[in-house]
Order: sequence, then structure tokens, then C-alpha cells
Amino acid sequence: MTVEKKEIRIAVTDGMLIPSSKDKTLVSAWMISLCIAIGSILYLCISQPQPYYEILKFLPDGILVTFQVTITSILVTIPIGLITGLGRLSKNKVINLIASTYVEIIRGIPLLVQLFFLYYALGKFIQLSDLASAVIAMSVCYGAYMGEVFRAGIDAIDKGQTEAARSLGFNSRQTMMLVVLPQAWRTILPPVGNEFIALLKDSSLISVLAVSELFRRGREYASVTFEYFEAYLMVALIYLCITLLLSKAVSIMEAKLNYYDEQ
Amino acid sequence: MLKKTLLTLLAVLMTANVALAGKTIVIAHDATWPPMEFVNKDKQIVGYSVDYTDAIAKELGLTIEHKNVAWDGIFAGLANDKYDMISSSVSITEERKAKYDFSEPYFEVKQAVMLPVASEAKSLADLKGKTIGGQIGTTGVFVAKKDGGVTPKEFDEVGHAVEALYTGRIDAAICDDVTAYDYVLNNEKYAGKLKVAFIVESDQKEYYGFVVKKGNKELVDLLNKGIKAIQEKGIEKALREKWVGK
Repeated sequence: MTVEKKEIRIAVTDGMLIPSSKDKTLVSAWMISLCIAIGSILYLCISQPQPYYEILKFLPDGILVTFQVTITSILVTIPIGLITGLGRLSKNKVINLIASTYVEIIRGIPLLVQLFFLYYALGKFIQLSDLASAVIAMSVCYGAYMGEVFRAGIDAIDKGQTEAARSLGFNSRQTMMLVVLPQAWRTILPPVGNEFIALLKDSSLISVLAVSELFRRGREYASVTFEYFEAYLMVALIYLCITLLLSKAVSIMEAKLNYYDEQ
Repeated sequence: MLKKTLLTLLAVLMTANVALAGKTIVIAHDATWPPMEFVNKDKQIVGYSVDYTDAIAKELGLTIEHKNVAWDGIFAGLANDKYDMISSSVSITEERKAKYDFSEPYFEVKQAVMLPVASEAKSLADLKGKTIGGQIGTTGVFVAKKDGGVTPKEFDEVGHAVEALYTGRIDAAICDDVTAYDYVLNNEKYAGKLKVAFIVESDQKEYYGFVVKKGNKELVDLLNKGIKAIQEKGIEKALREKWVGK
């Protein structure tokens, strides 16, 4: 037995084996929700192809745009959040002040207002494409929230870790990159996943920029056929499916990180 | 207890549907469509349709209430009994007639395309491959979609489409001719920058009508009576001169 266990340990530290979740229960809330969402879509489309299947056929390009905006925004948000978080912790007063001001201002203005401002008000001075305005507004807004998450996560790491690293001869950049951040990532990941899901859902707000994302596609359908209930039900179910998949992705990442704790 | 609550609820629901007489008729407007219905500087809902419904109410001795509602979902609100009728420059179309009931027509419109003054396009064909903005779910957007050559872009409000045209995000904007003329002639910001370039010719005439829930014959009859009275007394002509000119 002991020998076997040792082998697994070596494999894991080499990064060969994807650790499975410790949770061995067959039914999880996540699974039930996904089954309800997919089951409802299938049931509706099969039992009433008119209008549900028609709506489903109308939405794919909208789903694609929602994905595009969300994924690009997430990728842009992470570095913004990291820089802001580190800036907020910086001992350099100027950097600290810039980062803090950014967080205070952006966090205080609703995303919808920011979108209108960037698209209609600033349109007078700079012309950005629809998708670019959407991505910029989303990532600037969520970067501020993410900055706070990063700051809290980094702050939560015991000071002793930094002291130990410094006394071993690491410089401050090495300490942050090699010692503090890898540990902080574990605390940061759950709230970051939360922000990702919120970002995905808030991408529906960019429909005010006349960008044909998922929600706007549903509205366009309803505006012609007046089938409001059917169209918005379908849109809601599709959003649910996407967010559930995203939350699963985050929880898999969490399980990977926490695996080492449970040894 | 539950039974009692249910009974009371039932009673309320039943009385809510009884007869219009004596009851305030709530009228929904999407007040973003000058000069037909819009919010003025004093934050009041004003415009041709608003005065028109006020005149009808005066003729028939009805009490009415104006309500500002977003266009996207204005029909859903009617279906859900949030208000009794819509007076919001709604063009009478076959698709809409299948779901809702209309009064007699009270105004004729055409679809007008707005362009920057420098542009030389003379028809939708000249705009092939360009983007044309309009308000979501309006006849203007339907016309743009039907044409096929242009890319329609559906904004929440016609004002957003006009602003997007002004800042150069889109190449053209389409809406009812009265509204288009109001934007290019009466709006200080857009006057001289934008123009009504052409009217989209259609074999079918387009009219505004008041919308009520399917089967609400009582209200339709009342409205038709009111429209007739207003047309015969020349009030319609006076209102036209006041808001539309010509």
C-alpha cells in the first residue's frame, strides 16, 4: 500500500496526473442545474419546435459574440487586476495613489453608465469599434473589482513567508513571483471565478451598444414575433448553461490547487 | 387563511377586468420619438400623439393617464395588462394585427433614411454593404432587413441611432419621416450635419394606429369614435400644424 501511494505522489509532483475532486458524491447541485437547463432546452425544442427551435436557430451568432467579449475581457482583466492589486499594496506612494484612485472611481460608476459614456459620450472624440468599446468597458470595470480581489489575496499571505524568502536571499520581485503569488493564487481563485461569472452575465449589458450578443439576439427575435416569454426563456436557459460550464471550469482549477493541501 | 387570501385575490382580479367606464385608461408611450411623443425640458410627456389622445379623452369624457415606457417590451406590457393601450407611433402591420387590435389609422408615415449632409446616396441600393441603424422592432428596421443589401443595426432608441450616425459609427439611420425631419430640422445639434436623404418607396401605405389588447372591442370602438370626432371637428388639422408643420 505504502509503495503505491508513493508512486502517485511522484506522478503528481511531476504534473502528470490530473487530480480528481475529493468529492465523491454522485449528485451535485451543479449537475442538477445543468441537467435542468439542458433538459429544458431539449424538451422545449422537441415538444414545441415552433417557436423554441426557431429561437435556438436564431441565437448561435449571438452566443459567439458573448463568448468573444467575455473571453477577451477575462484575458485583459487578469493583468489589469494583478497590476492594480500590486499597485494598491505598493509602498511607492504615487503608484499606490494611482491604483487606488482607479479602483475608487471605476467601482463607483455602474457598468451600464460606463458603457454609455464610452460609446455615446466619448464617441465625439475617439471612434472605437463596437466590440472594442464593449471589451474596454468590461475589462476596465472588472479590472477594478479584480484588483481588490488580488490585493486581499496577496495581503492574506503570512508576512513570515516574505521574511523567510527575503532572508534566503530572494529579492522583492522574486519573493512576490515565486513565493507569495503562487500561494495567494489559491485564496484568489474562488472570488476570481465569481468575477468571471459576473462578467459573463454582465456582458448582456453591452446589448445597449447595439452589439448583437446573446441577449440582443433574443430581443431582436422577440421584437419581430412578439414571443417575449419564449425568447427570453430560451436566452435565460442558454446563459445558465454557459455560466454553469464556466463555474465548473473554475471549480476544477480550485480542486487542482487544493489537492496538495489534502495530502 | 390560504383560502381566504385566494378568494380575495380572485375577487380583485375579477373586478380589475370589469368595464372601462369610470376607470382611468392608462396609455403607454415610448417618449423618445419626437415630434410624436417625447419628454420636453420640463420633464413632461408631450407631442402630437399625446395631444391627440388628450383631445379624444376630452371629446368622450374619459380620464386618461400617460405613462412613459421603453419601446422594447411595450407590446409585452400591453399583453400583461400593465396598461390599457399603446399610443407610441405604432405602425399598423399585418404581423402586429395578428397579435393585437388596432384603432382606425390616425397618421400616415413613410420610412426616411438619414445620412450625413456630404453623402450622396439616393436609395437603399446605394448603401449596399453599409450599416444602417434604427430602433429595435420598428418598421424602419424591418424595411432595412427586408432589403438585404444593407446591414441593419438595432438600437434601443432612435436617438441612439441618430447619435451613432452623427459620430460616424454607422453609415445611415432609418425611421419614420416625421421623426427624421424633426431630427435634421429642429434639433440644434444635428441640423446642418445630417439630412433626410430619401424616402424608401413602398407599395403599401403605412399608418399609425392606437394598439389595444386583442379582443378589447370596447376600447377600440371608443377610440374610433374619438378619432372620427377629432377629424371632423378639425382638431387633427390644428394638431398637425402645431407639431408637424407643413
